[in-house]
Amino acid sequence: MNVNKANEGMNDSNIAHTSITPPSATGELLVILGHAPHGSSLLREGLDMALVAAAFGRRVSLLFMGQGCWALQPGQGEGALGQKGTQSTLEMLEMYDIDNIMVEAESLERLGLESSDLVLSVSVVDAASVQQAIASHTLVMNF
Amino acid sequence: MHLHTLNQSPAQSQVYRQALAAMADDDCLLLIEEAVQGALPHLIGPFEGLAGRLYVLEEDLVARGLLERCDDNARVVDVEGFVSLTEQADKVLSWY
Repeated sequence: MNVNKANEGMNDSNIAHTSITPPSATGELLVILGHAPHGSSLLREGLDMALVAAAFGRRVSLLFMGQGCWALQPGQGEGALGQKGTQSTLEMLEMYDIDNIMVEAESLERLGLESSDLVLSVSVVDAASVQQAIASHTLVMNF
Repeated sequence: MHLHTLNQSPAQSQVYRQALAAMADDDCLLLIEEAVQGALPHLIGPFEGLAGRLYVLEEDLVARGLLERCDDNARVVDVEGFVSLTEQADKVLSWY
């Protein structure tokens, strides 16, 4: 998947995406990602967990909060010592049918990130939707 | 009811903001490890809206010499209290 192409017309796809899979959609597993890429392995582990669950047929939703939002910054590469980044993993989410991807609005704003400038098409959600997502998923894992 | 645990001091980390955003009106917050600092009068500010739903772990306060300095609005529970909170909760979420 070409990320740059995916970003074109992002606003349109955002609207379509939201109408098909609202943030409140009930799912089996909600993975909350709250740690930045490269600083620790938590983001990678959370994404791996989401992919494995999806590979076993679970319905998986993702929620980026706080430092986890940096995962969505375009143009990431590997670390100075060649450590793999997480951007290639994000590109695989679509292949695993993980399409309910949420980002908390306040976190984005605090970090100076714009939803139109992220590597994925995401639903920007408020605190009430975060609470609803936690309530409506059978299992919630916080990374 | 969901139980949220927080282990980072509000004087050090902003992760408490995510815990608060994720908390519904009947959810409880338990401060553990360095987050017990959040039960001190000087640092309790972000948690003031949680009257009756803010807990702090006694063992972690005692270890840090902070038990006597704890704010009256934080409910002190020991590890057994922690366990019974998890028993009452439908889900437990850790913020770290």
